[in-house]
Amino acid sequence: MTTGSTAIELAGVSKWYGRLPSGHSALDSIDLSVEAGSVFGMIGPNGAGKTTTMRLLLDIIRPSAGSIRVLGSEPKSGGPELRRRIGYLPGELRLEGRVTGRSLLQHYARISGPVAPGAIDGLAERLGVELDRPVRTLSKGNKQKLGLVQAFMHRPPLLVLDEPTSGLDPLVQREFLAMVREARDAGQTVFLSSHILSEIQQVADSVAILRAGRIVTVSSVEGLRQSAVRRVRAGFADATPGAVEVALAGIPNLSDLVVKVSGRAAGGVTDITATVGGDIDAFVKAIAAFTIVDLAIEEPDLEESVLKMYGAEARAER
Amino acid sequence: MNAPVLPLFRQAIAQSWRSTLGWTLGVAAALLLYLPLFPSIGGAGSQMGQLIANLPPQLVSALGYNDITSGAGYTESTFFGLLGFALIVIAATSWSTAAIAGDEESGALELTLAHAVSRQQLVLERTLSVAVRLAWLALVSAVFVLALNSSAQLGVTAGHVVAVSAAYLGLGLVSATLGLAVGALTGRRIYATAAAAGVAVLGYMLNAIGSQSSELDALRDFSPYGWAFHHTPLASGADWGGLALLYGFSAAFVVTAVVALRTRDIAG
Repeated sequence: MTTGSTAIELAGVSKWYGRLPSGHSALDSIDLSVEAGSVFGMIGPNGAGKTTTMRLLLDIIRPSAGSIRVLGSEPKSGGPELRRRIGYLPGELRLEGRVTGRSLLQHYARISGPVAPGAIDGLAERLGVELDRPVRTLSKGNKQKLGLVQAFMHRPPLLVLDEPTSGLDPLVQREFLAMVREARDAGQTVFLSSHILSEIQQVADSVAILRAGRIVTVSSVEGLRQSAVRRVRAGFADATPGAVEVALAGIPNLSDLVVKVSGRAAGGVTDITATVGGDIDAFVKAIAAFTIVDLAIEEPDLEESVLKMYGAEARAER
Repeated sequence: MNAPVLPLFRQAIAQSWRSTLGWTLGVAAALLLYLPLFPSIGGAGSQMGQLIANLPPQLVSALGYNDITSGAGYTESTFFGLLGFALIVIAATSWSTAAIAGDEESGALELTLAHAVSRQQLVLERTLSVAVRLAWLALVSAVFVLALNSSAQLGVTAGHVVAVSAAYLGLGLVSATLGLAVGALTGRRIYATAAAAGVAVLGYMLNAIGSQSSELDALRDFSPYGWAFHHTPLASGADWGGLALLYGFSAAFVVTAVVALRTRDIAG
């Protein structure tokens, strides 16, 4: 896989159910390009079209309009040989039956292999899933781990993972993110989705935000972070509310400022809460002049802030 | 590394051995219950013969008991045409509707098709797995009939046992392949079940009505049950026309299933 080439390319892809485009539309003219060897995240609320997009790549469903290329082939004509080169984790993984995890994985290895000897056990050990229990007795998280093993085990050039972190506890999530980084370092392309950006922002190179079947933005995670909104809270000793207000007045990206005094009369603490959009630096420099007794800067909820931003824009257009 | 041979077929067989064993026991039990009773109740002068003679002739025709006094007639009307028929149809319905529609409704089909498997391969391998299991039941029936032939004084020939077993299997295949086709078309197990069981029930009813009089006899030509048993293969040998219809329709339903599943979206 040479860097610079494209692993996934969607051009004008729409998917609607029913006869007419006016029927239920799941995807509305999506354009998307995922560079080979990168980790690409797709974020959006439930029902935004993430699962639909992924199922299109695997030829489980077919587009109503537009063209799709995955690893150089169109999903339908690429057929089994294309899917052999993709590891897929469905969004709603349901594993049933008396078979053990091991024999289920061996079955998937037979229809997508070859799988290197020891690969299944190695991955199972990393994620901490027992392979010798019947799959129907496994918890949701353990089923999800089996799903991850079957997606990763044959080291496919492309991984398509729909909500991979769902049901995983934080330690296993971290292990999963390490597996994604290793896959990227080995030249594999990873296309994953989540409805919570913070779960994948540490690992994704680029992120597409989906809302109601449309891509609202494609950006690097760093770019999103810079435009995101943080909620801040701070407490100052030996500062009057007036002095604090004056000090913060000159910061353009600060809003929703509330200043109040807590504690008793003199010697009390001046508390502020506010929202900072984008760069946090000016705010931090400004408050450094006071004696800080309390400080909290909330991790930005990138997804919410981006969706709000674009939601507001969409409303303004109408 | 060589690609494994028929992986989906092997998986289907491996996952269904318990159910296959259960149906095998059912078929064996039915034959072991009915056939040894023939010497005591068969024969024109026997009690059973007299009982049948006293029943309304319409009922006797509907049940196919006209020829119950011969070993072949007895075996055909008690097992192949009645209890064995019910067993193979129920097995065919449950296996065939699980193979595609049930798998799709459980969500497992999506993941299987996301691997290096074509939809045509999936339909064909799973159809084969259902057909092999039904053939096993037909084989078990044939073996038990032949094994009990002399002790139960049935007096049937091996060739005719093969003929009736082929018809019996064909009847099961019609239900199974229709269940697969409707499952592939709709993805809904309930529709597939209605079709697979419905064609058997409808065929049985048409045949029963058709057997009431010679004017209605033509109805039996439209019934899979009639194609299988109208010309009493255990007594008189293979009915090639009937077998051609049974297996021809089964093949057509398989083609339908392949085309249907290749063309549509898989439900998630």
